[in-house]
Amino acid sequence: MVKIHPAGIFLSQKLLRYLLSFFCILLIVFLLPRMMPGDPVSNLVGEDIYLSQSTIDSLRAAFGLDTPLHEQFIRYCLQIMHGDLGYSYHMHGPVFEILISRAWWTLVYTIPSIIIGAWIGISLGARAGFQSGKWWSDVIASIALVISSTPPYLLSLLALVLFVYHLGLFPFKGFYDTYNLQSILYHLTLPTLVLISFYASRNILIMRGAVLTEKELLYPQFARSLGIPEREILFHHIRKNAIIPLIALIALDFGFLFSGALFIEIVFSLSGMGSLMYDAILARDYPILTGSLLIIAIFVIIANITADIMSLIIDPRIRRSS
Amino acid sequence: MTVVYVPSWLKKMGYTPTFCIIILGIFVYAAIFPKTISPYSPEIRFSPYGEPDENHMLGTDDMGYDILTLLIYATRISLIIGVFAGILSLCIGTSIGIASGFHQGWIDDLMMGVTDITLIIPKIPVIILIAAYLHPSIWILIIVLGLFSWETTARVVRAKTMQIRNSGFVLSSRCLGFSSFSIIIHDIIPVIYPVLLPKFMLTIAGAMISEASLSFLGLSDPMMESWGKMIADAFSHGGFIREMWWWFLPPAICICVTVLAITRIGMMYESNEPEMAFK
Repeated sequence: MVKIHPAGIFLSQKLLRYLLSFFCILLIVFLLPRMMPGDPVSNLVGEDIYLSQSTIDSLRAAFGLDTPLHEQFIRYCLQIMHGDLGYSYHMHGPVFEILISRAWWTLVYTIPSIIIGAWIGISLGARAGFQSGKWWSDVIASIALVISSTPPYLLSLLALVLFVYHLGLFPFKGFYDTYNLQSILYHLTLPTLVLISFYASRNILIMRGAVLTEKELLYPQFARSLGIPEREILFHHIRKNAIIPLIALIALDFGFLFSGALFIEIVFSLSGMGSLMYDAILARDYPILTGSLLIIAIFVIIANITADIMSLIIDPRIRRSS
Repeated sequence: MTVVYVPSWLKKMGYTPTFCIIILGIFVYAAIFPKTISPYSPEIRFSPYGEPDENHMLGTDDMGYDILTLLIYATRISLIIGVFAGILSLCIGTSIGIASGFHQGWIDDLMMGVTDITLIIPKIPVIILIAAYLHPSIWILIIVLGLFSWETTARVVRAKTMQIRNSGFVLSSRCLGFSSFSIIIHDIIPVIYPVLLPKFMLTIAGAMISEASLSFLGLSDPMMESWGKMIADAFSHGGFIREMWWWFLPPAICICVTVLAITRIGMMYESNEPEMAFK
């Protein structure tokens, strides 16, 4: 009999759940427009669009709205597997292409923010947790606590008022004035800083908490009794253990990067995927909304799988016990 | 689960459960009896975009309403959404958690499977989509927020229930012939209560933050004035570009203070240190 590695069983169980939850999201996206009050055609293409009766009829046939629900669902799933997320009548284009063209801009500044935020969070949080009695450690933790209990859009609004309207240090809106690197960097500085402070403050809080818990355990005390310097205890022993809960969260940040950027993009008028979603909400452009939800869901699931694999690699306890 | 430690000097400065209960009490009072403390009735209009002066402590907004009055009346909606979404999520989470922890077997597998699957669904985008379709009233908002925030409660409750289901007092009431339902009500819920309180409080805080975000996207009830909607109005009606800090800062501070107070109260029973989960 073939013996399957326990990690394999662990991963395949997880994978099954991810597939099921993607199926649930598909069901939500599929059922919502068809179950809501009103005409399903207008629920599917978006409100405030004038369509002639013949277009409505042909759309009804194209969506297969006269066929039974399960046939519609199979048809819908086949469409999505071919990368066809529908057609946006507000933006006059296929949803998939619109999303891809906007998503690049969001990735440009969210990925660096997550990475820098993770780096700041881990290094500052570890130090703040290790020397928790010091005044600077408390100051860092308090700032992080306040920032993370503020709704994300509020933080960006306050930054906008202070640095743009009041001090005039940064431009009002957009990704660039003239299309060159300097202009883009200038426009992206403030949104990136806000995003970094948001990610960093949450990471600091969690890292600090984890280090505070770990340092009371026996193994750091044993290391200390062996005469290992404090710095090495922190960086070679405690940090390795304390970082485990954070790894999953940071991986998830990558999954949620589009919805994380939503409020930043609205406040700073950056025309990335977040503001695309916002415009879609205002115009009730449902194809764009469902399309972005599906893309986000796929990203989140990939991020979850990555987090699982990484925790398997990093933490031998999961590998053995699973 | 993530553990967050509150810095010691914040505690010395008064970030204690007692102080937070007093703060929350003031907000609850404002929510129940807004008439007694608000300077004007919320229907009276004055000249718009007024700066703070002796008549209007926080000035007036674009429609000429007194901002302090709006702030006091908005407390009710913000708290109602938070508390009711919290109650709903607590009920779902506790029943699923107890059911799967107490009965185990296939019920446990099924329920934990459902919990895991719900946990993975990206909440905010799904809520946005549902809210966009429904043009929500506050009750729909409460239901949607409650339906998507019970999973962590269910997990914690399940773990705790499994711990105590084989303990002596549960076994003895089972021997005495009490029904499962009675055991759950009289023996299990009182013991897991210290776990429920922080989860409940965190859900309230989370729901309030989500409500503020949804209002900002224009997805809350347009007839209901909440703190989030006040900030959204200030953003879309020129309060920020005019730097009218007396318009957008008070609701912002109210949200932050309430969230901090609620989380601290939730940590009340954690003997040495509190726990927090911000997403």
